[in-house]
Amino acid sequence: MAIFGHKKTTPKDEAADQISQVFDEEFREEMRAQGRLYFERVINENASLFKQDLDATVAHVNTELKQHMARQLDEQFAEIARSNATLRDHITKSLDEKFAEYGKTIEDAQNKALLTLSASTQTLQAQHQQLSASIQKTVADQEATLGVMAKKNEDRIKAMEEAQSAALQTLAASVQALQTQYHQLGELLQKGVVEQQAMLIGAFEKNMAIIVEHYVTAALGDQFDMKAQLPGIIQQMETNKQAIVDDMKL
Amino acid sequence: MTETKPISHTAFVVPHRVISRVDVAHLVRDAEQLDNDFTSAKVRAKAGAEKAPELQVTELLTEFLKENRLKLKDSQDCSMLVKELRLLRDESPVIHMTFSVEADHQSLEQVVQWLRSSIHPQALLAVGLQPGLIAGVYLRTPNHVLDLSLRSRLASSRVVLQKELEALRAG
Repeated sequence: MAIFGHKKTTPKDEAADQISQVFDEEFREEMRAQGRLYFERVINENASLFKQDLDATVAHVNTELKQHMARQLDEQFAEIARSNATLRDHITKSLDEKFAEYGKTIEDAQNKALLTLSASTQTLQAQHQQLSASIQKTVADQEATLGVMAKKNEDRIKAMEEAQSAALQTLAASVQALQTQYHQLGELLQKGVVEQQAMLIGAFEKNMAIIVEHYVTAALGDQFDMKAQLPGIIQQMETNKQAIVDDMKL
Repeated sequence: MTETKPISHTAFVVPHRVISRVDVAHLVRDAEQLDNDFTSAKVRAKAGAEKAPELQVTELLTEFLKENRLKLKDSQDCSMLVKELRLLRDESPVIHMTFSVEADHQSLEQVVQWLRSSIHPQALLAVGLQPGLIAGVYLRTPNHVLDLSLRSRLASSRVVLQKELEALRAG
């Protein structure tokens, strides 16, 4: 620098140089740190104060709220008590009225029932008297009718006795007729038995042939073996040979 | 097979052992089996088998072939024989004979022999059993019935017995 020239400095520039030397970067950093600490302390202090105020406010609000609620509840209870009293009075009055009405109605009904019962009793007494009179009359009529019937029955019994005697006479006559018929029937039966006997003998003779045939079948069924029969069979077929041949030609 | 003329079932001689249609059916079955054997042998020969199995001919078929003088050379002969035997089975006249006892084979052969010599050379028999006949035979041809049993004779003689009983009662 000295070689190429020397620059001339003003006092303002020197003061600026000196300021920049005093307020260098380290000094500025130190100042910032101090400021930061101061700011934090102030903040903390304010926060604690604010917290204290808030706690006090909350406590006060709680107290006020409790008092308000208690007042409200007292008022409500008083209102309910008033309403209850009014309602009780009203119900009591209504019940008294109804009871009075029911009592009157029951009394009327009892009176009416008593009147009806009295009337029914009178009617029953009248009917009983009528019935007694009617029964007495009926008994008298029945007695009279029975007398008439007894007389009629006597007449009928007499008639039946007469009819019985007549029937006995008829029966005697019938017995006699039956005996006659019995004799006739006996003769007829005897004649029928003789005819039946003859018919049975005839049937026996007819069936005897079948019986003998069955007997022969049973007796001789197993007696002929094939070899013994064979000549006879061939002989019979020989006899009927022409018929067989003719049939085979058809 | 005979080389001269084609065979026909109407010319067959039916052996005495062949009695019923069942026996003819056995012949058909034997011929079918022989036909199958011929076919198998032919296939084996084409496939180059060393030795074909020996052909089995039943005794009944052998007797039939012998009586009819037939020789079966190949499957074609067998097929023709089967066809004709089926016709024989279906078309031969059948006579139903009912006996009173069980008929043995020998007796049936005698009956068949008589039928074939007297009635029809290819007649077949259908045999039944009815002990009630006592003895004899109940014969049924296609259109008629002949009751040649002892039961029938007894029934026809019933009048004679009745007359004798009447005479006995009167005397």
